[in-house]
Amino acid sequence: MKKEYQINQLQINSLGIIDFLLASSRPIFSVIMAFLVSGVIILIQGINPIDAFSAIIRGAFGNIGSIANTCVRATPLLIGALGMTLGIRGGIFNVGAEGQLYIGAAAATTVGLLPLPVPSWLHITLSLIAGILGGSLFAVLPAFLKAYRGISEIVVTIMLNFVGIYFVSYLIHEPNLIGKADASYAQSRDILPSAALPVLIKGTSLHFGIIIAVVLALILFSVLKYSRFGYRTRMVGANPEAAHYVGVNVKRSIFTTFLMVGGFSGLMGAVEILGFKHSIFDYFSGGLGYDTVAVSLLGGVNPLGVIVSAFFFGSLRAGGNLMQQTVGVSTYMVQVIQALVVLFIVGIGFMKPRIRKQKSTTLQPIETNNLEG
Amino acid sequence: MLVGAFTGVAIALITKNFALAVIGAIVAGGLLSLIFAYLAVSRRGDQMVTGFGVNLLATGLTLVLLPYLNAIRTRTVLFPVIDAGFLKDIPLLGPMIFDQSIGVWMALILTPMSMWVLYKTTWGLSLRAVGENSKAVATAGLSVIKLRYIGVLLGGLFAGLGGAFLALNNIGFFVANMTQSRGFIVLAALVVGKWNPLYFGIACILFGAADALQLRAQAFGSVLPYQVYLMLPYLLTIAALAGLVGRTQAPKEYAKPYDPTQA
Repeated sequence: MKKEYQINQLQINSLGIIDFLLASSRPIFSVIMAFLVSGVIILIQGINPIDAFSAIIRGAFGNIGSIANTCVRATPLLIGALGMTLGIRGGIFNVGAEGQLYIGAAAATTVGLLPLPVPSWLHITLSLIAGILGGSLFAVLPAFLKAYRGISEIVVTIMLNFVGIYFVSYLIHEPNLIGKADASYAQSRDILPSAALPVLIKGTSLHFGIIIAVVLALILFSVLKYSRFGYRTRMVGANPEAAHYVGVNVKRSIFTTFLMVGGFSGLMGAVEILGFKHSIFDYFSGGLGYDTVAVSLLGGVNPLGVIVSAFFFGSLRAGGNLMQQTVGVSTYMVQVIQALVVLFIVGIGFMKPRIRKQKSTTLQPIETNNLEG
Repeated sequence: MLVGAFTGVAIALITKNFALAVIGAIVAGGLLSLIFAYLAVSRRGDQMVTGFGVNLLATGLTLVLLPYLNAIRTRTVLFPVIDAGFLKDIPLLGPMIFDQSIGVWMALILTPMSMWVLYKTTWGLSLRAVGENSKAVATAGLSVIKLRYIGVLLGGLFAGLGGAFLALNNIGFFVANMTQSRGFIVLAALVVGKWNPLYFGIACILFGAADALQLRAQAFGSVLPYQVYLMLPYLLTIAALAGLVGRTQAPKEYAKPYDPTQA
């Protein structure tokens, strides 16, 4: 059964751990190449790239505080990249995580500000759910347009990112809503302590969100690999026509998957607020939503791989500040490294199995396969 | 576009030569598009992901280099305004039409020019064919890869020019992320404009109007919060895309890689 449907097979079944290990040589090569090229860029600026990179390493792993910082940076990246991964597996390229995370963060903040007569764990749960719903809600329009009207999600979601960011900007400028009255710069009021995620190690910023993120990764891995829903989603992503022929409602699958992807992005924003920032301000995310694309691709669009790559990018984000302070290389260099990683992954052909259209070999084997995978 | 804007400002600041700045911007846009062309055409990479990577690279690079640009403290050269003499004094129409910079005129001239190239020349026919049916083009003995490279390169050159205009038309400096995803609004304008340069130009003027309205409305101050106006161009883009479903036809092989090994 396993060898029958060739290229499609590559995509649908490339979730196994052994496949993952085999495939991980390419991401590692991409990372090395990205560092080489960005090293040259740093060199052109007249700075020793080795100093710059060692500053990143010290900033990310130098002491317990910086390791905690790395984990804190990795947490939202991991949650968001899981959404991205689910999306790509299900045939959706969601570039709208940024907008969804703002709406999710705003929703979570709003609930986090309510003085609810409930225990802390419930207050946190309610705020997180609000974040998920906020993100999903903001994905309804692109999901509908993509699934039922065939409009590319890329332009719509990027446009919505701006809408989301400006909408949240409006909310935090209004003291009647969630804005803080006498703030030096526009920001929301701080969430109530009962809604804040607990800190795991005293004296550091490490919060409970990391556990949520890793557990979600394991859940998503099993769901995608073993469940009926996961198989269906991957089939829609790999070959929508074949999925349609075996009776999958492709439109509905894309629509619901898109809402879940939005939910992940919303949760990413909620966790960032409840665990780390505790209030929203303009551009608080620093492009986290866009980073999820690189994290997901480097992780091989596999939830387990994404754990590794989220920590990698988290360490870059954590170490980038020290690099700027000590050797004077802009923190935006981290973004350049990310971009290079994405481009090298494309160049090496990591995504190829997904792209190649296969015409004839796909239908028959899947029919005999009873969808259980 | 972003890289074009950045390069344009950089060269304008350093050389004080307007023509050099614009040429530099165009070349920079073209160079960046070659990265995309290599990955998307030669390597047959996923075009969405490749495009995303190239955009991320442009944003990152301009942000890294921005401090160096800001360190140069001189006045820059701008797009010259064509002095139309007495025509400028015609009420209403005068300042609207005859007080525009050379960049606006370039856009107005390039639109019919690209229409002519696309629809009236053999080469334009080949380029359109390569988007509709690349195998037919290959059968006719033309190089699909070469045509697509040129197509992407031309796109990059135009985007570079667009960036130069954005930065050098009247503000004369570079702001982080100053394009504000205008490149994607362009994509929407393409769909709305039915992939035809003329309609596309009209769509662009419409989006431009939304942008201008947004600036004006903020300046006047009004009942609505200013963020609503900021959203306006983006909301309009989505509305236009959503409203024109089914009535617009993309080239059949748009965003599909060409693989000569497949029959």
